[in-house]
Amino acid sequence: LARIPQLAETATRPPQTTMSSSTTTTDESPVLQDLRRHLTGSSTDSGAAIDPEHRTAVALPVAAIKSLLGVIQRSQANTMMGLQEELRGAAEEMMAFATDCPGSLQLLGGRSHIALASGCELFMKYVTRAYLELPDFAACIAQIMERGERFAGISLAARDRIADVGQAFIQDGQTVLTHGWSRVVSNLLVKAAEHRHFSIVVLEGRPDAAGAKAAKVYADAGIPTTVVLDSAMSYVMENVDLVIVGAEGVVENGGIVNKIGTYGLGIAARELGKPFYVAAESYKFARLFPLNQSDLPPLGRNAAILSFVDTASWEMTGGLVGRPPPSAKEGADGEQVDSSSIPGVVQFKSEQVKVKNPPCDYTPAKYITLLFTDLGVLTPSAVSDELIRLYQ
Amino acid sequence: MAKSLAEAGIDTVVCNDATTFAAMARVNKVLLPAHAVLANGGLIAPSGAHMVALAAKHNSVPVVTITGMFKLCPMYPHEGQDTLNDLVSPSSVVDFGAMSDKIISDVEFINPVHDYIPPQLVSLYVTNIGAFQPSYIYRLLAEYYHSDDWESFE
Repeated sequence: LARIPQLAETATRPPQTTMSSSTTTTDESPVLQDLRRHLTGSSTDSGAAIDPEHRTAVALPVAAIKSLLGVIQRSQANTMMGLQEELRGAAEEMMAFATDCPGSLQLLGGRSHIALASGCELFMKYVTRAYLELPDFAACIAQIMERGERFAGISLAARDRIADVGQAFIQDGQTVLTHGWSRVVSNLLVKAAEHRHFSIVVLEGRPDAAGAKAAKVYADAGIPTTVVLDSAMSYVMENVDLVIVGAEGVVENGGIVNKIGTYGLGIAARELGKPFYVAAESYKFARLFPLNQSDLPPLGRNAAILSFVDTASWEMTGGLVGRPPPSAKEGADGEQVDSSSIPGVVQFKSEQVKVKNPPCDYTPAKYITLLFTDLGVLTPSAVSDELIRLYQ
Repeated sequence: MAKSLAEAGIDTVVCNDATTFAAMARVNKVLLPAHAVLANGGLIAPSGAHMVALAAKHNSVPVVTITGMFKLCPMYPHEGQDTLNDLVSPSSVVDFGAMSDKIISDVEFINPVHDYIPPQLVSLYVTNIGAFQPSYIYRLLAEYYHSDDWESFE
């Protein structure tokens, strides 16, 4: 629970960003300023407080596409080739920002930038296609801008469509297991709860407390919610009826890239005969074909340092660590015990032991039963067909 | 069924459902009829077919379904085993006349008409337009049904 304030902190103003475009940071290009602005959900005309948990805060690919629209607006190019060059440069700038810039970790929430890449690529394909239909440059630009303005609305409509197709798979009295925080999945479950009675089990979701955030949203919606440790996923699997997760990206063979732990969840679900469903919008379909975990694009320097030390509590360690609860005050001076004096707690220097903290993993298609998308319900084998159609 | 096969000159053995698993080790191929073929490649077949398909999977015996394309449905198995299923009177399998009233009131008889077989248990669908794997069924649906018509089946 100590993490929720931290999450709320990143959800509000990131220290190095200014929100109104009248005072611009000088060291950042307009593209990146736009990207920040769209991701944190602020806008110059509303001036509302930043709240990414609000439903209208846009997903990463949508924010990228809106930033690219800003590039088109500012562009001085007179030919399609020139414009495409500018767009490609802006997309590469956003990708480099996502990969290398340390400040992006707070903004992007440590998510994989696969969705960013696929969103940009889809938009540039759309621009090319629009130009083939409308050879007149000015008319083409006007149509792209108009379509782009509607895109955020389209992405919200995509979530509603996914909720429509996915609800029917949850029956009364069932238990749903979910992992990570996904607006798509939460929209689906909250909408399903309006018509049916079911309960939810949420995995804790370390290291970013995604499970805590999700559990709060579901509990507020009135759905009976249980939170378990990530390690307990196989333990609870026999008592759940189905698993639903979101996706950072959907790859060509129908597999998904999602928060770390999804792969294990897929294996456990398959082994115990539980259906494993994925809810993802079609702009998350990426031209990637990973063969194993190491084929995922690297995240650069943004992997957050993992800390292992928050589960020791006064009760669990029998009074060795931390403070006693306020009711039991006899004799204790309330001072925190130095953990180096506790027998059995391992101390190591950071040079001795390597820590790996990948934010995402790849779940192969064979563990996925069905995908709920705005294109309808798809089997994993249907994903490659839809990808070809999207990228044509 | 056994009578018509025997009349055609095919060596036929009739065994009861309980011997399915025991007999499967000596079987080379399983042929199943279809009541409906679902959008994910799953199969709705007469009750007992799921047991046959599971025994076949365990013994690595191919399961082939012979059906016409008119049985293809743009539906997914939302309700699991209850998809497109009915529970009918058990009088065809249980003789009520021989039972006391107490038994009939205390015992619940469940008699489903169909079984749902998940796509990974079916090896091949042989149809009037060719043979397909369950993972290909979604393509056939796109050719036979417009996406607008899918909702009407929900």
